[in-house]
Amino acid sequence: MITTIGEIVRGDAAVFPPYLYEAYRSTLRRAPRLPLVEVPLTASELTRPRLDLSHVIAEDADLTRNAGTGGEALGQRIIVTGRVMDEGGTPVPGALLEVWQANAAGRYIHKRDDWPGPLDPNFLGIGRCLTTDAGEYRFLTVRPGAYPWGNHENAWRPAHVHFSVLAPSWSQRLVTQMYFPDDPLLELDPIHNAVPDAARSRLVAAYAHDVTQPHWALGWRWDIVLAGPGATAFEAREQSAA
Amino acid sequence: MSPLPATPSQTVGPFFHDCLLREDRCEAAASDQGGAQIRVEGRVIDGDGAAVPDAVIEMWHAAAFARIGTDANGRFSLSAVRPKRVALDRGVMQAPHLSIAVFARGLMNHLLTRIYFEDEPSTESDPILRLVPEARRPTLIARHAPDESLTPLYRFDIVLQGAGETVFFDFRSPAR
Repeated sequence: MITTIGEIVRGDAAVFPPYLYEAYRSTLRRAPRLPLVEVPLTASELTRPRLDLSHVIAEDADLTRNAGTGGEALGQRIIVTGRVMDEGGTPVPGALLEVWQANAAGRYIHKRDDWPGPLDPNFLGIGRCLTTDAGEYRFLTVRPGAYPWGNHENAWRPAHVHFSVLAPSWSQRLVTQMYFPDDPLLELDPIHNAVPDAARSRLVAAYAHDVTQPHWALGWRWDIVLAGPGATAFEAREQSAA
Repeated sequence: MSPLPATPSQTVGPFFHDCLLREDRCEAAASDQGGAQIRVEGRVIDGDGAAVPDAVIEMWHAAAFARIGTDANGRFSLSAVRPKRVALDRGVMQAPHLSIAVFARGLMNHLLTRIYFEDEPSTESDPILRLVPEARRPTLIARHAPDESLTPLYRFDIVLQGAGETVFFDFRSPAR
């Protein structure tokens, strides 16, 4: 498919998608048209205020049960786990991960999702957790379904889980989507295809038999590597400046 | 050691509300919340001048964090402790500012901008603002909007594209 691809990218253009990607129609009127202004990172971007994380509880990471109905979500039960690291491979502990997804039938609870896929009263499709000291996260959920959208004729989003990562450094803020391998919809999806070819596979989880639990749930592993310097870079600069 | 390849960004899409804007979402620790409050109101607007009703804005500075959604008219309202000046590097100070990230359907990566204040004397000499082409600097400066409340109110619109397009930053590691 031929599409207009814009030149404005924030961060490494070999990693991050351009703001303008014509095949994804919503970018046409929302992508900035003027060049981004390159400026140095400052303390404002390398730190963040202390957050009150007391609302985050273990039950938030179990999407099969956290609707609070007492019933369990329908669908293939899966464990999604991995590590959050910086580009040097150092684990990022204490990062807030928030996830949202369609149910096993491909339907979101959201009021603007109105295609005739069935809702599941036992599935909210939202979860969150904090990474451990080793940078690890783990969610129990159901495998999401694909769903149709209005971008083009007969458009379907491949099955995916949305991830938001809030690390101790704002320069590492990331919102992205995790996909599943061998999905024939991936190569038809302009949101996935907006990512540079060589970087697309990093959005795809790997089946992990060592994560799979017998008679219980299939395991998927997906590591997240945050671009940009962490909060420690700020501390190092402060010390060298002192 | 060669660096690990970074994970690319994807759009936040249209269905984030129940997750990112849940009522018990995480906020800045209350112990850091002392000081005078300000309020910033504005709209998020697309390249047709139309409201962006499904954006998420994150605002932070040293002692504040907020995440809010725009309403059906693209409007947002932020409350925060008034930010203080913050060091740039080696004793150079920045003017008080709010850091802003904008997420929305159609944004493949979040946009980063800043809100400065027109009635703050140090704004004019801010070292980051001075790297912005002069004609575009006004897009980063909130206007004081006198009203009857005790909390100072500022106006700041975020124009994603077109006439009056807001300056968006690409922060890069400084050369050492």
